[in-house]
Amino acid sequence: MTINGIRQGLATNLGTITGLRTAAEIPDQASPPIAIVNLQNIDYHNAMQNGMTNFVFTVQVIVGRAAEREAQRRLDEYAEPSGARSVKSAIESDKSLNGNCQTLIVDSMPSVGSLQMNDQTYLAAEFSVQVYV
Amino acid sequence: MAKYVVTEATLSINGTDVSDAVARAEVTETAAEVDVTDFGSGGNTEVIGGLKSGSLSFDIHQDYGTGAVSDTLKDLVGTIGTFVVTPNGTTVSGTNPQITTEALITTVTYVSGSVGDLATASYTFPTTGGITIATA
Repeated sequence: MTINGIRQGLATNLGTITGLRTAAEIPDQASPPIAIVNLQNIDYHNAMQNGMTNFVFTVQVIVGRAAEREAQRRLDEYAEPSGARSVKSAIESDKSLNGNCQTLIVDSMPSVGSLQMNDQTYLAAEFSVQVYV
Repeated sequence: MAKYVVTEATLSINGTDVSDAVARAEVTETAAEVDVTDFGSGGNTEVIGGLKSGSLSFDIHQDYGTGAVSDTLKDLVGTIGTFVVTPNGTTVSGTNPQITTEALITTVTYVSGSVGDLATASYTFPTTGGITIATA
């Protein structure tokens, strides 16, 4: 169980969404629609003998230029709690991340808004993922 | 001896090490207060130590895998279990004593938790007999 393994596992799960690019690490150039895995914080010592460490990852989904109506529709699909394009469902489709964690949960989508990238304004959302290792 | 932060405590139940699923552990021993106040007590209360009793409590992260903590506890309700606790790692010494006690497993929590939370359970068992503290 490694942080890199968790990143790769999250990206693999997200890759089950047709048409959504994934990046296990922050890319130099991001081409929407793309889901980017970020490590937000780590809470060590949740059990004796290093028995459990809690990681919080954020998955930033950049859907397209903010001015495009299609981007909003696509974001709605990604934000659904279930369905073929649900980010939550995709991440939770393998809660062990191929053996890289004990369990995980997508607990919220705390932010939706515009994102400046390459002199363009994109529509993006963040999903918060609690990973228990 | 130095002060320490609790990160490496160990707990075993009937010989099964469940430390990596334990988030809190506590063993206490208490002596009953027996009142011996009399007219010779000079207006004060006098007490002496009576029967001793103990308590073992711990919080776990539920795990029903084979040999994991929930699996270990699930058939033990109503039985006397042997519990071994060390405060700071596995090397027993004068500064890391091994505390051994038997306790009556009065309850087993099979399911507990709110939606979205990590499944946990908290236990408190009364000890039976004495508590042994080994330093080697």
